[in-house]
Amino acid sequence: MIRWLGGFAWFVVDWARACAMRRPPPGRVMEEAFRIGVMSLPVLLTISIFVGTNLALQGYNAFVPLGGQRLVGMFVALAGVRELAPIIAAAMVAAKAGTEMASQIAVMKTREQVDALEVMAVNPLWWLVTPRLYGIVLVMPALTVISIFTMVAASYVAATVQLGLNGAVFLEFARNATSGFDLVAGVVKGFVFGIVICFVSTYCGFASTKGPEGVGQATNSAVVISSVACVSINYIVSQVLYG
Amino acid sequence: MDEPIVFTGVSKRFGALTVLDDVSLSFQRGQTTAVIGPSGTGKSVLLKHIVGLLHPDSGTVSVLGVDMARAKDKDVYAVRKRLGMLFQDGALFDSLSVGENIAFPLQRHRADLSTKRQRERVDQVLELVELPGLYDRPTSALSGGQRKRVGLARAIVNEPEIVLFDEPNSGLDPMTSDAIDHLIHDMKAKLGITFVVISHDIVGTINVADRIAMLYQGKLIANGTTAEVVRSEHPVLRRFLGRNLVLPEPGDDGLPRLPSI
Ligand SMILES: Nc1ncnc2c1ncn2[C@@H]1O[C@H](COP(=O)(O)OP(=O)(O)O)[C@@H](O)[C@H]1O
Ligand SMILES: [Mg+2]
Repeated sequence: MIRWLGGFAWFVVDWARACAMRRPPPGRVMEEAFRIGVMSLPVLLTISIFVGTNLALQGYNAFVPLGGQRLVGMFVALAGVRELAPIIAAAMVAAKAGTEMASQIAVMKTREQVDALEVMAVNPLWWLVTPRLYGIVLVMPALTVISIFTMVAASYVAATVQLGLNGAVFLEFARNATSGFDLVAGVVKGFVFGIVICFVSTYCGFASTKGPEGVGQATNSAVVISSVACVSINYIVSQVLYG
Repeated sequence: MDEPIVFTGVSKRFGALTVLDDVSLSFQRGQTTAVIGPSGTGKSVLLKHIVGLLHPDSGTVSVLGVDMARAKDKDVYAVRKRLGMLFQDGALFDSLSVGENIAFPLQRHRADLSTKRQRERVDQVLELVELPGLYDRPTSALSGGQRKRVGLARAIVNEPEIVLFDEPNSGLDPMTSDAIDHLIHDMKAKLGITFVVISHDIVGTINVADRIAMLYQGKLIANGTTAEVVRSEHPVLRRFLGRNLVLPEPGDDGLPRLPSI
């Protein structure tokens, strides 16, 4: 754990030293952003929809027996917009894009392609990490916002159609509970989670042992470590913003 | 500078394992030096010191006048731009086609060449490695021998001064193997490139090497011209050369003659 953290910290410092002031490889940032977005979007939409419907259902179960029908919208907005949407976006991007980053780099390492980059005088951190980092930082905030709206929309539909609540009241309470600030906070969370997922996943790839087992292990650690890191960071950020 | 690569007292350990033990060795400009030894003796480790992928625990490795372990990144990269390396299995990028793989060093480092000129250069080296017209072929569709030739094409496309080969003949059919030997021979004659060939198979290197250095258990146990080394009486060397190695007749220059295909 300490060894891993040390290696990870060096990795980030190495990247920052070699690449932070350097323009990314031409054309590759948009390519990565597009890939990450397209890859993660279907699963993110699906999960957001069903988390949204169930938020409405459990909000209903919690508040309606107490006569607090109007609170369902508020509950959905607070839990969904502030917490669940950003964390679900992070988890899905870690599961789709993060694992792919880790496995691609681990495979390249196994097949000596990372060494080949070095020998061809191309810094592998610049060539492999920079485009993925800028790409994920571009799309993560957008994915987070998409997840927020999808989740609220799905709850709205479930609340009105399935549970028979008043739509206007639902929206009014949802809107009053949250503000533009929460959207900004979601965007910031997405931004931070994107950076974490990218560095963790690419590091897992670079630190992997050579061979098929190394690739599997790198992929596995990438999703586990980045999810745990994002959830922990989310806890801290929410404590600071909302605690 | 007649010795573009100089190892001075280089030692390298991995944990308790000493892989290179006080190795001093220099490589002559315009010559082909074979570094031979049984599998696992540290030949690849030696090669990785030349390109700066590994750093010695003690001693220095100087390439084109740059200390590869202590110089600044910028200077190390500057040296790497002047050398080419063929990896054991080619190390081609899976996401790129054959031609894109070969064009990679040009795209990165030769902004002075137009796309058209780069393409011409790639077609030229494809011809040289006897794979004309394969520019658009995905690398997944290549055989082992073809991968190696593409790796070789990529290694030489930017006209390096030094070319390094890690086991160029291993896992190849004799035809491809011979073709690579001939390529090394031709390029050396034409371009005056310094070659370093790593091999566990001396028979495969005798035809191309001007000089042979032998590593055994981390130590350099022989180092000289090919003619000297194959006649050496060193017991390990004799054993490694094998009882039934039949030497080709020497040519006028005293070196074994290159068999013709
Ligand atoms: N990065 C490394 N870490 C630990 N051990 C290594 C590393 N690279 C090589 N070795 C060990 O060094 C020895 C020599 O390896 P190598 O140079 O690949 O042999 P070969 O002569 O067959 O090319 C082997 O025992 C290998 O396991
Ligand atoms: Mg080797």
